[in-house]
Amino acid sequence: MIDQAVADARERLVWRAHREGLATLAYDVLDSPLGPLWVAVGPRGVAAVHYGSEPTASDLARLVRAHGAGLVPDGRRASDLARELEQYFAGKRRVFTVGADLSGLTTFQRRILGATARVPYGELTTYATVARKAGNDRASRAAGGALGANPIAIVVPCHRVVASDGSLGGYAGGLTAKRRLLALERSGEVPAGGWPPSRR
Amino acid sequence: MSIGVLTFGELIERHEREIFVYALRLTGSRDDADDIFQETFLAAFRAWPPPRRGTERAWLYKIATNKAIDRARRARRLVPLADLRLAAPERDGVSLADLATAIRALPAGQRAAFVLRKVEGRPYREIADSLGCSEEAARSRVAEAMKNVKESTR
Repeated sequence: MIDQAVADARERLVWRAHREGLATLAYDVLDSPLGPLWVAVGPRGVAAVHYGSEPTASDLARLVRAHGAGLVPDGRRASDLARELEQYFAGKRRVFTVGADLSGLTTFQRRILGATARVPYGELTTYATVARKAGNDRASRAAGGALGANPIAIVVPCHRVVASDGSLGGYAGGLTAKRRLLALERSGEVPAGGWPPSRR
Repeated sequence: MSIGVLTFGELIERHEREIFVYALRLTGSRDDADDIFQETFLAAFRAWPPPRRGTERAWLYKIATNKAIDRARRARRLVPLADLRLAAPERDGVSLADLATAIRALPAGQRAAFVLRKVEGRPYREIADSLGCSEEAARSRVAEAMKNVKESTR
């Protein structure tokens, strides 16, 4: 009964904090076939999708720099994103309608992530191509760095970017996750027999 | 979220339960506890950032205590204590109902002092912080409250 009372009180508090303009971002931890995802959503779109149940210290610092300390736990405001991710993992969504909010990132990071966001579902590109499209031919290594630190995984599809020699490159969620996402997008359906249990 | 930068969410996640329970012990009513909970956290968000890193808990208790005292002074009415049994300790052969009535009868400042010391077992240093008075004053307020509670549960 205490738990329910506290949950009710929290819900009302979060609602009031939004109404007063005190809350700036709503965060939630979603279940996914690749393990928990920590997500944050604001009025300008998705500000974070992280593998694991917490953001990294540096990305939390970026969110607070860009949005202030007003991050509140709020599954309700994150529910559109949650639904779209669920559809994506079920092979039923190819494009996210929720926008990406890249505030707090450097101009270079924003360019790289912007170029990455335009790589279509099911297709692959290389770090070098992304760097070129972002306006810097010779920055493929730096592009790899910017993508490695992509704070909006899946929605900004950095898993579609691989090395020029055809190897997978890296991935914040682990290479197994990258392989699974690419397989999902190639076949257009969930893996036969459903998603294998996550190793994370 | 427990890393580096402090956010509203971390403050909520870390302290929501104890602040709610504290408010429940002070008011004895779930609805009033909910109101004090709201007012406490909203006041903290409006006054952000907390005065010193590492003292957020004491800060919240202090705000909650003031909200409860203000409220009691404003309302000057007897609060329903049906929900106190969720929070009150059962001991010394004093029934919950007796204890609840005795706590309810205390003046607001004494009530907070009593709950912080006798129900939550806080050190006097923290109680003084929450009440915004000296440790000595906190001790005497708790003693006064104890005397009153003992008298009314005798």
